Amino acid sequence: MQQLTIFMDIESSRSYIDELYSSEAAKTQEALVTLKNSVIGSNRQKSSVIQQGIVPRLLQLMSDEEIDPNIRLEATITIGSLAKGTAENVNSLVEQGAALALVELLRTVPIGTKLIEAALCALRSIFLHPPAPITTLPADMMLLSRLTQIAREGTPTARACVVRILSIWCGGPLEQEALCAAGACGAAAALLSSRSTPPPARALPALDLLAAMCFENASVSHTAMNTKHGEKTIPELLTFLVSRDKPLPVALGAARCLTFIHRAGALPSDDNRVVFGALPCLARLCTKDMPEDIRATAAETLAYLAEVDTSLQRLAAISNHLMSSLAEIVNCPSAAAKQGAFKCFASLGANDEDIRKRIIETHGLMVHVVNGMNNPEPTVRLAAVRCLHSLSRSVQQLRTTFQDHAVWRPLMQLLNDSPGNELLTVGSSTLCNLLLEFSPAKEPMLDQGAVEMLCNLTKRPEAALRLNGIWALMNMAFQAEQKVKQRILCCLGTEQMFRLLGDSDTRVIMKTLGLLRNLLSTRQHIDAIMGEYSSQVMQAVIVVLEGSYPAEVKEQALCILGNIGDGEKAKDLIMANEDVLRKLVDYLAHPESKLQEAALFVAGNLVWRGEAGAAARQARLADLGVLRALKLLYARHDAKHLHDKVTTALAQFNEFT
Amino acid sequence: MNYLVTEGFKEAAIKFQQEAGLQEPALCSSLDERIMIREAVQSGRIPEAIAMVNALHPELLDNDRYLYFHLQQLQLLELIRAGRAEEALSFASATLAEAGASDRAALAELERSLALLAFPDPHASPFADLLLPAHSQKIASELNAAILKMENQEYTNPKLCSLLRMILWSQSELDKHNVKYPKMTDLANATIEQPK
Repeated sequence: MQQLTIFMDIESSRSYIDELYSSEAAKTQEALVTLKNSVIGSNRQKSSVIQQGIVPRLLQLMSDEEIDPNIRLEATITIGSLAKGTAENVNSLVEQGAALALVELLRTVPIGTKLIEAALCALRSIFLHPPAPITTLPADMMLLSRLTQIAREGTPTARACVVRILSIWCGGPLEQEALCAAGACGAAAALLSSRSTPPPARALPALDLLAAMCFENASVSHTAMNTKHGEKTIPELLTFLVSRDKPLPVALGAARCLTFIHRAGALPSDDNRVVFGALPCLARLCTKDMPEDIRATAAETLAYLAEVDTSLQRLAAISNHLMSSLAEIVNCPSAAAKQGAFKCFASLGANDEDIRKRIIETHGLMVHVVNGMNNPEPTVRLAAVRCLHSLSRSVQQLRTTFQDHAVWRPLMQLLNDSPGNELLTVGSSTLCNLLLEFSPAKEPMLDQGAVEMLCNLTKRPEAALRLNGIWALMNMAFQAEQKVKQRILCCLGTEQMFRLLGDSDTRVIMKTLGLLRNLLSTRQHIDAIMGEYSSQVMQAVIVVLEGSYPAEVKEQALCILGNIGDGEKAKDLIMANEDVLRKLVDYLAHPESKLQEAALFVAGNLVWRGEAGAAARQARLADLGVLRALKLLYARHDAKHLHDKVTTALAQFNEFT
Repeated sequence: MNYLVTEGFKEAAIKFQQEAGLQEPALCSSLDERIMIREAVQSGRIPEAIAMVNALHPELLDNDRYLYFHLQQLQLLELIRAGRAEEALSFASATLAEAGASDRAALAELERSLALLAFPDPHASPFADLLLPAHSQKIASELNAAILKMENQEYTNPKLCSLLRMILWSQSELDKHNVKYPKMTDLANATIEQPK
């Protein structure tokens, strides 16, 4: 037995490293033990021996099926220790094929041996260092079945290791389906059941695996619902674990699983296990005396749970003083905590006005939201904007709180600062809402380049972004000053407008026409704009009236025409266009009621007696058959609701025509 | 029984089990090893103790670097106690410096240990407590608890200790509020006095 010296320096370590290559088993074993004892606990030693190039030799000893099992074991344990070093150590190991070699070991070594336990510990340590080498574990059924077998039959340590590895490996639908087919749900259930609470070291990896498998996967979630261990199903096991007396990470993990199973569609939102299980647990885990990291994850999970269901939002809002708990979490230093809290506020305030009011009344929240938008972490900024977005759906808030806090300023800054797609989508939706209200903020927003930014959005390939862009412009144009309208038209350009009128998304077309309609309101504006853009506007209207668009789109075009018809000088532009006038006649006789009404609106404006040149216009229109069409409309049974307007229009005409 | 097993009094535990007629298989698998490890630590044979721990639970000292540091520190103190100052300094810079660099608490303790070298008689210095057997006993208990935790034992401290602490605390709380109750005045004999 080699003398155990106090410490090894680099020189003396060389001697025992040479012995690693010895042909005598006893010497190799001794050298391995010495090596192992020198690297455990010291990153410096780990780096040193890796640099000396012993990893290939260790892998060789580990994988050789002919040699003494004790040597294989010591070599594997040593690799495991190296994997607990620095990130560079782990990268080195992976580059030299350690992960692959360990996976191969798992295929062949018998379950229940110390060797397989050591191999799993080593592989787990490697996987715990991001980025985990998931490609070293192929999704082949034989391997996965072996792994789930280990998860059911191995030693406690082996089971915990394999489940932890799989929970990290399970990254998407492919892995989820493969694991499900290999029986991983049952293996996880086995680790969760116990007469009393399973120890966290065993339960947590299983909960994480279950969560990873069920995330956004309906079929796996349904399988999980029906998987049993002994007498209990997985949902029963999970419900047992969310109660008050369980260790916090375990309760959180179980609540997370239930949340994912519900969102994937396998549990309805009014199910007891959600309403009395997951939700109150998560609300409780947000309270002030919980550790910060628990609160952060609980808030984020609750945000996901309540994201789309109004009943859950309402329930959460009254649970366990959640609002004040979340306000505390927003104050926490870590990015994860702030992000979780903002997201949770965003979910809770998504649909219900009362909840929004309560959120705003939460002391100092708006200041936090504005600060959040200036936070150095991008995830926090995005979450703060989401929160703002939910709150911006409240008209009352738009008129009061949002004015007070000038939220548009940091929002504009974010939108101008090359944001990612997610931020751009949420941010532009929020801007849309902010622009709805007549507010003094509109002008400064122009100075910040809002128009240019929105016009650029309309050119994006993503339909959602184009829609937000044009919708925001439409809101901006509503009751705006002339110079704002000019700015919009000038910046967007008629060419882009035509492109948008041919967009694949009908909503974009509708909002473009809505923009035009808002631009063409107020007499002076109508005349001014038509003075400059008459041919393009008329052409746009004709394009829509002639094309195969749905009725509501054509209705918008007719309304625009109607607005033009209200302009003093602009009327003449319509009168001069025979094509349009003939269409008008057609539409007065159209079977669709809303189109009749819109056409009537146009006709009504054109024949209005009080305007200069009315007589001439009336004569022309009568020539083209408008008068006759009006009379026919009057007689129609299905147009009774339009009677008053038709009568008014007819009354404009002079007696003798 | 729990106390005897946790603290490693094997013969006493076996005797006790026989005399009390206890059924429970409380003599868990690692009892022998834990006894040997504790002996090694308390006798200053640190490399031997580390090797035994690594054979029993190879991940333990990698997972708990602070514990590993404490064991290395004991080795350092052995060298200082034996008067081998130069070796002590080389050892400190080669091995302990690593832990000291990453953990502030470890650095403070390292500094205290090395400060012993500044005194001609370390046993008379302000840091002499580090050289007392009580210190190595403390580290030995720390290591014992870590091993038990690794084996998923629920109680890493003997239940008796927690019970005693609970009695002392509750009695002091009751005294603070001037409540009359049957008080345990003699802990060693468990004598209870009725209130007057």
